Amino acid sequence: MTAVATPVSPMLVRLAAERATGALLRDHGTLYLVDGRVVHAESPAAPGVDVLLTTGGRLPREGWDEAVDRAGAHRAVGRFLVDSGRLHDGELEICHLGAVFDAAFFALSPTSGPTRFRYGVGHWFGTVRPVSAEAVERETVRRRELLDAVWPYATVDSAPVVPRPAAPGQTVGARQRALLAAADGERTPADLARLLGRPAFHTLLDVRRLAAAGLVETPPEPDPQPDPGPVPPPQPLLAAPQVADPDIALLRRLRDALEAHL
Amino acid sequence: MPGIDECLLEAMAVPGARGASLVDWTSGLALGTAGDSPVGDHETTAAETAELARSAAEFDSFVAEGDIPSDGPPVEDLIVTTRAGYHVIRFVETSFDSSVFLHLWLDRDTGNLALARIRLRDLAERLVLG
Repeated sequence: MTAVATPVSPMLVRLAAERATGALLRDHGTLYLVDGRVVHAESPAAPGVDVLLTTGGRLPREGWDEAVDRAGAHRAVGRFLVDSGRLHDGELEICHLGAVFDAAFFALSPTSGPTRFRYGVGHWFGTVRPVSAEAVERETVRRRELLDAVWPYATVDSAPVVPRPAAPGQTVGARQRALLAAADGERTPADLARLLGRPAFHTLLDVRRLAAAGLVETPPEPDPQPDPGPVPPPQPLLAAPQVADPDIALLRRLRDALEAHL
Repeated sequence: MPGIDECLLEAMAVPGARGASLVDWTSGLALGTAGDSPVGDHETTAAETAELARSAAEFDSFVAEGDIPSDGPPVEDLIVTTRAGYHVIRFVETSFDSSVFLHLWLDRDTGNLALARIRLRDLAERLVLG
């Protein structure tokens, strides 16, 4: 376990140290703390537990609504889902932890907006499996680095996902196939996450993996930044993501000519 | 069966167990850990085993080897044998969209691979079916 060198949120570090209870509100989401530990997180960018559980048919929507109606006021919706026999403990923990780290990733994304903390505010879902604020910060940093290690072009994160034809012999795994099948050229990674009932970060990561494999278009960077920041790693051979409209016909002729000489 | 922690505690009760974790193989996140990691850091081990599991779960050669009707995941488990130990990675099938596995690291001398496989299969089922 290594400490986070530059905290993603100095306020979160301080609140964890003072074992605070309440809601940390940021531009892209909210983290809920109990005794300095993260018990819940939500973000408009990430599907909630309800979406994850109901999309695949694991839980009927009425079952979710009933749980919120009956246990929301006591802040024990998660507990109710288990006690009423709708979910097992393991399922609830797997699903909820996944949703918490997912929402936290977006809630802790770099922002220039204000960060506020409202002491004593809890979330109606209730506590399932608290995680340390440090673990959440560390995982958030790891996820950012992972995305850039896979394909350092953030433009694919928010643009509509546009599939590209596979190269001869190129195969795609089942989960990525489902993602490509749902990509209609208009849906963004966030739309696809909601549609498929998957965490938003997982969808971002798969889209970056697909873009790196040349199976999804990489839109050009908007404007050259005044401060270019770190130099991106060299691109893999044959990938030309920043060319808006490569001359496919020319490339095909070139390939054919080369193959003719083999 | 109760939750993740109880499941990992039971995994650690398997003879020869040195470390256990529940890992999401899409992201490489450790959802829970117990015991030791071979490299002294469960998060590193989780990220590395996730890459291995993802390859096995996605490559056609393992997934499309016949149309055997089944409710379970196409790949059931992975075994990596090292000089000093065994690693058993058991995929956990949930009824919502997820990508998690149980990882059990065993001592090669005191561990029993056949027994560990059976126990891990049982644990993976009980974790989500109760």
